[in-house]
Amino acid sequence: MPSLVDTDPIEGHTAKSFDTALSELRLHLVSMGGLAIDQVASSMRALLDGDESLARLVLSRESLINDFERTIDREAFRLIALHQPVAGDLRMAKAASRIVVELERVGDEAKKIARFAMRLAGGEPQGPVRAVARFLRNMANLTAGMLREAVRALDEANTDLAHGVTSRDAELDEEFAAALRQLLTLAMQDQRFLGATIDTVFALKGLERIGDHAKNIAEQVVFVASGEDLRHLNQHKEG
Amino acid sequence: MQRTTEAPSAVRATRPAEETALSKESPANAKSTSGAPRISIAVDDTRQVRTLNVKAAVDNVNFYYGEHRALKNLTIPIADRQVTALIGPSGCGKSTFLRCFNRMHDLQPGTRYEGSITLHPDNLNLIGPGVDPIEVRMRIGMVFQKPNPFPKSIFENVAYGLRLRGLRNRATLAEEVEKALRGAALWDEAKDRLQDSALALSGGQMQRLCIARALATKPEILLFDEPTSALDPIATAKIEELISTLRDQVTVLIVTHNMQQAARVSDYTAFMYIGELIEFDEAAKIFTNPSKKATEDYITGRYG
Repeated sequence: MPSLVDTDPIEGHTAKSFDTALSELRLHLVSMGGLAIDQVASSMRALLDGDESLARLVLSRESLINDFERTIDREAFRLIALHQPVAGDLRMAKAASRIVVELERVGDEAKKIARFAMRLAGGEPQGPVRAVARFLRNMANLTAGMLREAVRALDEANTDLAHGVTSRDAELDEEFAAALRQLLTLAMQDQRFLGATIDTVFALKGLERIGDHAKNIAEQVVFVASGEDLRHLNQHKEG
Repeated sequence: MQRTTEAPSAVRATRPAEETALSKESPANAKSTSGAPRISIAVDDTRQVRTLNVKAAVDNVNFYYGEHRALKNLTIPIADRQVTALIGPSGCGKSTFLRCFNRMHDLQPGTRYEGSITLHPDNLNLIGPGVDPIEVRMRIGMVFQKPNPFPKSIFENVAYGLRLRGLRNRATLAEEVEKALRGAALWDEAKDRLQDSALALSGGQMQRLCIARALATKPEILLFDEPTSALDPIATAKIEELISTLRDQVTVLIVTHNMQQAARVSDYTAFMYIGELIEFDEAAKIFTNPSKKATEDYITGRYG
């Protein structure tokens, strides 16, 4: 069986403009990923440290995330229309459209957490957040870590890293459940903080969702590399 | 995380001996009583196994131009009444391979076939030494890159092959010509000018006329050698649409340089490189997730 590699093919795509467009798409995704990670980390610091100006920064950068989303989606759309990619190129273009949605939602969750931080700074009772601060911190570290790995996996087209991300999602879910139990106990003992408790539940849920988005991104990285669809595999096994 | 790492694709043509067992498993496919082999395409867990009859079994075919070995040990099952596309860079042997099916190479001295292309259901080896090329061409039609109608009327172009076969009855001839022209989606455009010269037609119409001419003699396999490379996009779209409808009645084998065309029209796609078969699979698999890196490089344009 001859290999095309032995016969010295031309490096890269014969149409350079296509290769450039494809690598730019990946670069933009990675930049957007970097921003999203920072939004998550900053919003959580704002929440836990009561840093109002940091929360403001997160809110002001929301429009950047949205700009990225529009630009990248347009690029992927153009790439498909103008170059009719197939195989790995097509999987990359399709995955880009998907990943950009995941990252935009990560940005949304960070925005909601930042708004909560603003309300806390404005006098909302801090009891519930203090009660689960340890969980919030752990979950923030976990989600930021998962996101970072997912974006790195995308950048390096590294499926091992991507598989690592998907396996850490369970840990996050456990933390989330434990934090909810703690909050429930608190709410039953003291009902004065019900509003702040609900806000805290939303923050925890936001972090849990960010973990899901990181996992979805990692699944797309695997799809780009191998064409393998990892989505909902566990459900199929259980069902 | 459990992941299955099966072989990405398994294509096999089963011999008649195995066929009985297969038919029992899939009664839906049991209509073949001819003893022809089946083609089974069993791929990853997300795809169903399809079992189809094989119209022509290409087995270990080698072809030589003098000393030059242009085709190397090709083994491909050609599924009955499906469209199989042959793709690959210039000089990979795809046209040479296509021409084996109707013995076009016999016109050129110093060429030699090895192996077999077994036409089912009657097990005729198309490239067997004792087989008459004329008989082969009666059963295997061909449409070329450039439309090549005879300098005769539209009617006579289509009737030509029928007359060769001794059909003389005018009414029957007219009926068969209409059927072929309808089959080639040319009837509405040509019915009022059947006696006009075929050379007055547009390029796309001429190509459809050539398809009608090939269809008139009811071939079992229709070979297309880059049938749209000389046509504009509209005429190309019409031919592609036509090829899709033809698959109900005839097995189609098409050589194309246009990758999108192969993706659009074919059920199965074979990627060839320097005379060898690199990968053969369902077109949807080849164009979304080919198993071989060489195939991926070629279809994504990363091979010069």
